[in-house]
Amino acid sequence: MHDIIRLVWFDLKQELKPPVWIMLQWLTFTVQLFIYGAIISQLVLATKIANYQEFYAVGFIVMMTFEVGSHTGRHFVEHAHEGLLPYWLSLPISRTKLFLAITLQGGAELALMLGVPLAITLAMIGNLTIVSVTAAIATLFCLGFGVAGLMLGFSFIAFKSSDLYTAVVTGLSTVLIRFSTVLYPLIFLPSGYRPVAQLSPLTYGSDLVRLILGFDPSIMTYDPIIAVAVLVALAVSTLGLGMFLLQRLVEGVKSG
Amino acid sequence: MYAVETQNLVKRYGKTYALKGLDFTVDPEEIMVLLGPNGSGKTTLLLTLAKVLKPTSGTAKVMGIDVIKQPTQVRHILGISFQDARGFWRHKPAEILEFHAAMCGIAKAQSKPLIEEVLKDLELWDARNKLFMHLSGGQAKRVEVAKLLIQRPKFAIFDEPSSQVDLRGKRTIWEHILKLREKGSTILVATNEVREAEYLADRVTILDQGKSIICDTVRNLKDKITGGDIVELELEQAENDPSIEEDLGKILGTVKIMPVEKNKYKAYVSIGEAWVPKMTSLCYEKDVLVRSVRVTEPSLDDVFLSFTGRKLETEANA
Repeated sequence: MHDIIRLVWFDLKQELKPPVWIMLQWLTFTVQLFIYGAIISQLVLATKIANYQEFYAVGFIVMMTFEVGSHTGRHFVEHAHEGLLPYWLSLPISRTKLFLAITLQGGAELALMLGVPLAITLAMIGNLTIVSVTAAIATLFCLGFGVAGLMLGFSFIAFKSSDLYTAVVTGLSTVLIRFSTVLYPLIFLPSGYRPVAQLSPLTYGSDLVRLILGFDPSIMTYDPIIAVAVLVALAVSTLGLGMFLLQRLVEGVKSG
Repeated sequence: MYAVETQNLVKRYGKTYALKGLDFTVDPEEIMVLLGPNGSGKTTLLLTLAKVLKPTSGTAKVMGIDVIKQPTQVRHILGISFQDARGFWRHKPAEILEFHAAMCGIAKAQSKPLIEEVLKDLELWDARNKLFMHLSGGQAKRVEVAKLLIQRPKFAIFDEPSSQVDLRGKRTIWEHILKLREKGSTILVATNEVREAEYLADRVTILDQGKSIICDTVRNLKDKITGGDIVELELEQAENDPSIEEDLGKILGTVKIMPVEKNKYKAYVSIGEAWVPKMTSLCYEKDVLVRSVRVTEPSLDDVFLSFTGRKLETEANA
């Protein structure tokens, strides 16, 4: 376990010297929420959403979760191209531990990125219990690990072509975010978009977090138990896929 | 038991073969130098032994442990210094070495004085707290080498350990590699630099296009070249004896005699030390005075040329 923590910290502390990237994420969130979110909430009048600014805040946090998850895959690709991955692979630790370290680093980055935005959102929503806050954080982490696992899986494309990887991830994020309930409830989506949105993992994540934080349950797309099951299955399957690819493919590819 | 043994090792990238059925051995506590031009398969072999690359087929063992079946055990006994020291951009040399020592299971109390010693020896002490991205190419390379000097693995792999390093730095690195062997490590060095190979090698394996061409000591490799030694000869009154050139050519071991200018000859011979006494006897018999003799032995570049038909030290490799 010490090896895993040492690996996570060695890589993570680069992000904190100084933590510009993280603080920029916090600043972006704050500006988006208190300028764009505040203005747009004046324009959105819906009976099932008492305050669109709060709805938007949760949506933005889900988007940030997606972005951090994607960043984990991108980070892995960068390591491969910059030459750090061969060094990781030569260290006297098992591939399973290496994969755990990569995943945990993604989790730690997610915690750092979301810490302030989540605190602001929770303070804005108010009337929360420890259970609801914990459940909301757990849901976001589950979604984050799922996205990270998915992106780690896709990252193997980048060994062949980093341009192709960027195109795939950009396309995927466009589709997954826009065709989901991250920024608007399913009932407001045009009927043609709904079937696609119902398949997006972000729909399950954002709906579940909102339900836990006390939003109107009627805006949920699915039963909460199904949402929990899908998110857990997503995290387990994509992380499993990522680990499989790391063990089977990474030693065979020419990188760096 | 060999320290390293590969049998029919193949590594293929698509249709390109980096290793073509390589059979290769390294004895315990020896320094084996892999010599070959860029693209000969040196780095691929090192990365395969270090379990950074997976072989396409064949077997490889390090200290008797199967690299493919027991990779984690192999990684516990070896260390690799990569050709390109990259990827640590925002870390400092001291913390890179502390991290590496910790990952290799060296206690902090033990690693701290060792890191200080190695940083000072490699003239990195003043740069120990600089960001890696601000180091010169030579400094970055020395950090890469320092990792292994601290780790002191049973099997140490160096990929071009002194490339980008100045002459004095090269000598320091080579001395440390020799000391590492004295402490009991088996060492595998890949290089395309002839001087590095001659300085370090107990044995040299010449790789070309993914195959081992020949493996022997430096001395034996040089002796294996026909006409490898060059004797530069200046005679006096040789013009009085027109048959001298022909007679020199008849001495056993002569491959070719080339007149350079008046009374000066260049003789390509198999073993210079054996040829020169025969030449002086001939000149004595013919009453020809030997003004000067200079014997030049072949370099490993000549050895490579002799076995592959190509030069090792091209401008691209230099």
